[in-house]
Amino acid sequence: MRVTRSMSVKEILDAVRRAKGYYITNTQRDLSQSDFKNRILLHTDLLAAPYREQAGYFSLEITGGASVHVDMLRKQVNPFLKLKLLRKEMPNTMFQTLCRGVNLFGYRPYPENVIRLTVREFAKYVEVWRVFDFLNYVPNMIPVFEEVKKAGKLLEPCICFSTGPEHTDEYYVNKVREILDVTGEDIILCIKNHGGLGTPERIGRLVNAIKQAFPDLIIHYHGHNTDGNDIGRIVSAVLNGAKIVDAGDHALTGFYGPPPILTVIDTLESYGLKAEGIDRDAVIGTSQVLRKERLAYIDFESQYKGFDPTVQIHKLPGGAMGSSLEQAEKGGFLHLMPQILLEELPKVQRELGNWWSVTPGSQILWTTAVNNVLSGERYGNPTGDLKNLLLERYGPFPFYRPSKEIYRKVFGPDWQRIVEQEGGLQKIEPVDLEAEKKALEEKIGREASIEELVLYLQHPNDAVAFFKFEEKFGKTYVLPPQIWFRRGGFKVGEKISFTDYTGKSHIIEVGPTHYADGKKATHFVIDFHPIVIVSEDEEKKETSSTPAITKEEIEALAEIGDVRAPFNASVQKIEAKVGDMVKPGDTIIILEAMKMQTPIESRVKGTIQKVFVKEGDQVKMGERLLLIKPKE
Amino acid sequence: MERRRKFKKVLVANRGEIASRIIRAIQEWGSEAVAVYETPDSEARHVVQANEAVWIGDGPCRDYLNIEKMIEAAQKTGAEAIHPGYGFLAENPNFAAACREAGLVFIGPPTPVIKQLGDKVLARKLMQEAGVPVVPGTEPLPLGEKGEKIAVTFARKHGYPVVIKAVAGGGGRGIRMVQSEEELKAQLPIAQSEAKAAFNDPRIYLEKFLPSPKHVEVQILGDDYGNIIHLGTRDCSIQRRHQKLVEIAPDMLNNPELTQKICQAAVMAAKKVGYVNAGTVEFLVKDDQFYFLEINTRLQVEHTVTEMISGVDIVQAQLDIAAGNLLPFTQDDIILRGYAIEMRINAEDPKNNFMPEAGKKVLVYYSPGGFGVRLDGCCYPGYVIPQVYDSLLVKLTVYGLTWKEAVHRLKRALKGFVILGPKTTIPFYLQIVDDADFQKGVFTTDYLETHPHLLEYKEDEPEVTKIARLIAEIHHRGFNPYAV
Repeated sequence: MRVTRSMSVKEILDAVRRAKGYYITNTQRDLSQSDFKNRILLHTDLLAAPYREQAGYFSLEITGGASVHVDMLRKQVNPFLKLKLLRKEMPNTMFQTLCRGVNLFGYRPYPENVIRLTVREFAKYVEVWRVFDFLNYVPNMIPVFEEVKKAGKLLEPCICFSTGPEHTDEYYVNKVREILDVTGEDIILCIKNHGGLGTPERIGRLVNAIKQAFPDLIIHYHGHNTDGNDIGRIVSAVLNGAKIVDAGDHALTGFYGPPPILTVIDTLESYGLKAEGIDRDAVIGTSQVLRKERLAYIDFESQYKGFDPTVQIHKLPGGAMGSSLEQAEKGGFLHLMPQILLEELPKVQRELGNWWSVTPGSQILWTTAVNNVLSGERYGNPTGDLKNLLLERYGPFPFYRPSKEIYRKVFGPDWQRIVEQEGGLQKIEPVDLEAEKKALEEKIGREASIEELVLYLQHPNDAVAFFKFEEKFGKTYVLPPQIWFRRGGFKVGEKISFTDYTGKSHIIEVGPTHYADGKKATHFVIDFHPIVIVSEDEEKKETSSTPAITKEEIEALAEIGDVRAPFNASVQKIEAKVGDMVKPGDTIIILEAMKMQTPIESRVKGTIQKVFVKEGDQVKMGERLLLIKPKE
Repeated sequence: MERRRKFKKVLVANRGEIASRIIRAIQEWGSEAVAVYETPDSEARHVVQANEAVWIGDGPCRDYLNIEKMIEAAQKTGAEAIHPGYGFLAENPNFAAACREAGLVFIGPPTPVIKQLGDKVLARKLMQEAGVPVVPGTEPLPLGEKGEKIAVTFARKHGYPVVIKAVAGGGGRGIRMVQSEEELKAQLPIAQSEAKAAFNDPRIYLEKFLPSPKHVEVQILGDDYGNIIHLGTRDCSIQRRHQKLVEIAPDMLNNPELTQKICQAAVMAAKKVGYVNAGTVEFLVKDDQFYFLEINTRLQVEHTVTEMISGVDIVQAQLDIAAGNLLPFTQDDIILRGYAIEMRINAEDPKNNFMPEAGKKVLVYYSPGGFGVRLDGCCYPGYVIPQVYDSLLVKLTVYGLTWKEAVHRLKRALKGFVILGPKTTIPFYLQIVDDADFQKGVFTTDYLETHPHLLEYKEDEPEVTKIARLIAEIHHRGFNPYAV
């Protein structure tokens, strides 16, 4: 029997429990993130929407994870508007999100009032809430649990899964009990196998152990196909009692995301297990639509083609595979990947406590391993997040603490005092929501809606940049990927047709381009009216790039108060202003690179003389950040 | 048929659109045109269009105002006559006199006429003598307390507000309105020193203030043989700070009898002073009363609207007259038909107090065309709005058989412009065209003050334009910078 969003939580849970077969969640969001660097556009999801609606899934995972951020950052679409537009096309299918507990849809903990507001607002459009914590630390998830329940939505807490001697059935069964103690029985439990780790036998054994302990508990298995064997794990999970499994549309399946839905259906069919509510033709129909679109996303597919069974060694989550490889390529260390993935990363993982490699923990492991290899000095360049982890500010280590040597390396000889004084769960003060709203409104020069405030609270700089984009360029989700991701410009005479968000159809014909005054001007025919659009010639702007500067030089300059960016990054927060007195060790600016924040500390005592950057700026390695006039 | 006298070569002592306008007429008339230019105008249209051009100095402006250089340029090139255009030396009697002394024909009225009419108080006196009604006013005020006393007495008699005007002013310059005796006393010395600075003549006088009048003017033509005719009226009521913004022919009084009276008064006025060549007699009209304002002894910016409804090329008529020919038509030959509207497309930001967009380059310039659309301009792609001259890009004049047709054509033509680079007055004009009162033809000189919403146009673009801008960005960069 198909479940729909018009049913109550209880009706849904009852239906699933009673069902002879199993249900399927279409994890489109995770597929996009794992195999297309999160770039699948709303335009494409809207094309697929009528077919997916017809297909009869338990749910469509279409928001959460990194998508809220990437929607604004790279797709320039409002994550709320996306849900509203999809809802119009999909009135019955439940929408599912992936929420990182206290980290929401970001990379570090948010204040509790922000968490509650965010969940409340998103819960208006999202029926199924999958919630996890990278340390499986239940208290980190409680505010989200509470708000989801309050909103009357389906709660799906996760146990993150990994492998190794600590990862026993007993551990996980106890963890499930810990969750149930908090949530009560009316939940779905997710086994979150973000790396696609373990064999089918291992997953089957785990499902069985949980079922033995909690016979009525509905288990939702989530996996990744990185090693090419997630079908095996899914089959094993369902045979052992899992009631819902994750898979994706085959036209888009790649190597690191979910395996194809149709394969799951057909494989389990021969075991006599039926996919409940599923319209097989609609599943096929979806992929027929999507196949044509996939070519437009080719630039965002993995640098490495093929499955990676060595994931069992490095344990990178499927969602981080593509971006890690991309980073390696851009950073010029693709050739070091075997060493990083097969030697350093597993080593770091064990050294730091063998917990779960998933956001934000996976970024900490990855960045630390990369830094260790690239700098040649292990733990020599600790990020702020690594320090916080070691201080157990994100939660306690589940199995064991890293060695003293690592603490000493990261915090210096005084490490014990630092851990004693600064260690322990981070207490985050609530923010003044009214003040934040005012700040946002000042930045965008108009009133902001509550939804806009929510987005701003998640990612302040990127949300503001997105709102400004929208004001300048309109609602561009109406453009297909073939236009949005076009490289090398358009052909003269090319006609671009689309329907704008108000429902009006337009045709834009591209005419010749000429240069005037360092600007490019292209003649367009917009809805049969000639118009010329001028834009700055970007190449000209690049001339002021900072000359190459070595790490040693940056260090030396810092000693005299000339603070430079030690790597390419974005300026997250500036903690000091002109005229402030600073002393060595004071954090003056926080940079963010690859989702990791790094505080830059003053090396000198003195007065801030000049600030060269502002929050949200992109800085290149060696670029000037601040100037401190040293005292004495 | 009589043999009409022609000049072989005529020098145009001006720049910009009016220089182009005059050069066209000279060439059509069968003469050669000589342009003059200052260095900043080296690539200007009028320089390109003329048969030859003379560089007169680096300027800016001071060489266009240099009488000796103009005469020297004419003599060097063998020009027989000089057309002064409007502005610069156009109403300077010394220039007319110097030309004539040098044996050149000055295309304009006799020197004494320019001089007389330049004195606004003398002009008023002459008109009163001729029986043309004038706005009640004073003689030039003596300096100091004596003048103040006269002013106060006048103001008490006629009531506030009153207008302080410079005797040597005109064209809307040197005018200030005062609301009270206190203000009057305070403003008198300021107005005097301003008049001295602006016109090199500190004399000022007072006029009764006429609330929300219409500004109506009559185009006249007179030849050396005492023939004076008029080409009908123009309505220049829509003004901004006494500067005309929109000019219409004929007047919008909707009172043919009154129009007839005004035209007759204008001819009478011209005859009184022995006017020769083209000129404009300006009136203020309130209800059924009209009052003489001043006579402009030159070709005016807005002459194009009269040309459109009369079919007369006023500049060619000026050339004919200056060459000593009889006026080629009589009053009876003049048939006025339809409506013409002229707007000055300036590179200005209406929302920023009409601040000129000086220094900006016109990257793209498309202009409208078609039936009933006339353009007199100096703009072209690559044109840089001059820092040192005015910000006029092009004058748009449209013709329509009816007022309604003219208004619709005006809107169509305004929308036909594509000007990229500087901001222009077009969005503001589009507001006027859509205004109900404008469409009804109802407006007085306080039109802008009473219609403040005209400046509240949105610079919002349609969604498709925004998206097109992104498409341009993707196209120009070779990738979508907002997607990677």
